Amino acid sequence: MKFFLKIFIFVFPLSEAYAEGQKSAGLPQMDISTFPSQLFWLIITFTALYLFMWKFVIPRLSTTIEERKDKISNDINDAENLNSEASKILENYDDKMNSASLESNEIVSSSKAAMNAYLDKLKKDNEIKINAMITESERKIHQQKQQSEQEIKKATIDTIKSIVSKYVETVPSDDEISKKLN
Amino acid sequence: MAADNPIDPIHQFEISKIAEMQIAGIDISFTNSSLFMVFAIAATMTLFILGLTKRSIIPNRMQMLSELSYNFIANMLRDQVGDQGRAYFPFIFSLFMFIFFCNFIGLIPYTFTVTSHLIVTFAFAGLIFLAVTIIGFIKNGLGYLRIFYPSGIPIFLAPLIVPIEIISYLSKPISLSVRLCANMLAGHSILKIFAGFIVMLGFLGFAPLIFLVVLYALETLIAALQAYIFTILTCIYLNDALHPDH
Repeated sequence: MKFFLKIFIFVFPLSEAYAEGQKSAGLPQMDISTFPSQLFWLIITFTALYLFMWKFVIPRLSTTIEERKDKISNDINDAENLNSEASKILENYDDKMNSASLESNEIVSSSKAAMNAYLDKLKKDNEIKINAMITESERKIHQQKQQSEQEIKKATIDTIKSIVSKYVETVPSDDEISKKLN
Repeated sequence: MAADNPIDPIHQFEISKIAEMQIAGIDISFTNSSLFMVFAIAATMTLFILGLTKRSIIPNRMQMLSELSYNFIANMLRDQVGDQGRAYFPFIFSLFMFIFFCNFIGLIPYTFTVTSHLIVTFAFAGLIFLAVTIIGFIKNGLGYLRIFYPSGIPIFLAPLIVPIEIISYLSKPISLSVRLCANMLAGHSILKIFAGFIVMLGFLGFAPLIFLVVLYALETLIAALQAYIFTILTCIYLNDALHPDH
């Protein structure tokens, strides 16, 4: 009990009870009588601290720090692996995209060519048909023209005959009329 | 009497017994200094126990804090000493955490600053000096003596250079320990003095109060900085022992 009371007194040395403490002239640092006690307790406390640091603190701290370093380097490795994997996948994707676009270009150009060929063929066929139709109709027109020319000639001759027969006795022959007409 | 003065700046460095103890007639009482040493290692252990009970790949805040301190010291050791320094990492790490927490706990008003006592810092510096010297001779044999004669120096300068190098080597533990202790002692004394001014000036005390706030920020910086300097110098001395040619 007295011990704790004294601790209390030293934590609050301004209290009057402190006056009980030793008094010596000059600097307390030069009081040789206190040296053995200070050295003794310094050795005890510092040895305790040293052992505590040596056996408890440093092994734990160094393993924790090592573990953290390992974890960080592992994580960095993992991240690098994942990164290279991702870039590989990206490369694959790019390759596939390139080949697909090439393929689609081919498809587009081949289908264009096919379409053009089909259109050409269609055009040619139609041209032939149209030409045939044109010649046919030209022929028909020509035929009709000739027919109608002959009919007109005949009608003209008949008209001339009938007119002439009204005024003259001798009716000229068809040949004579056509000669005259021309 | 100075001790009766409520703003005696040295008062905070006094060592008082909490529990009396003796071994073979030597007084090794548990004092306020011992108590704050225990506080410092308890704070360190709390930090690491909280940070390391639920370890995960993605750290929480306390784990982050312990990993930050680990990486800070590990990088410092690797930069200064290289891979050969790995064996000394537990000591360097403990040293930094102990001094760091002693300095910071000492900044809290009404506490005791363990590192403001020369014997504590000298114990560390002396231990480091002895260890570094022994390591130097074990690793390099008598070749370790080359550190007293840097390569590329003409032979006629040797009588001048070698004693200077020996003196500078022997003064390393003193400069190392006094640097830390004096920084803590001076800083805390000034803080106490200015805190006293606030009380003495009454209403006008706001002026030293502003100064005290700024000074306190500076002391916070110094607390971290001195722990860092002490540790990095230890690394540099260790490097000298492992590679005396450089």
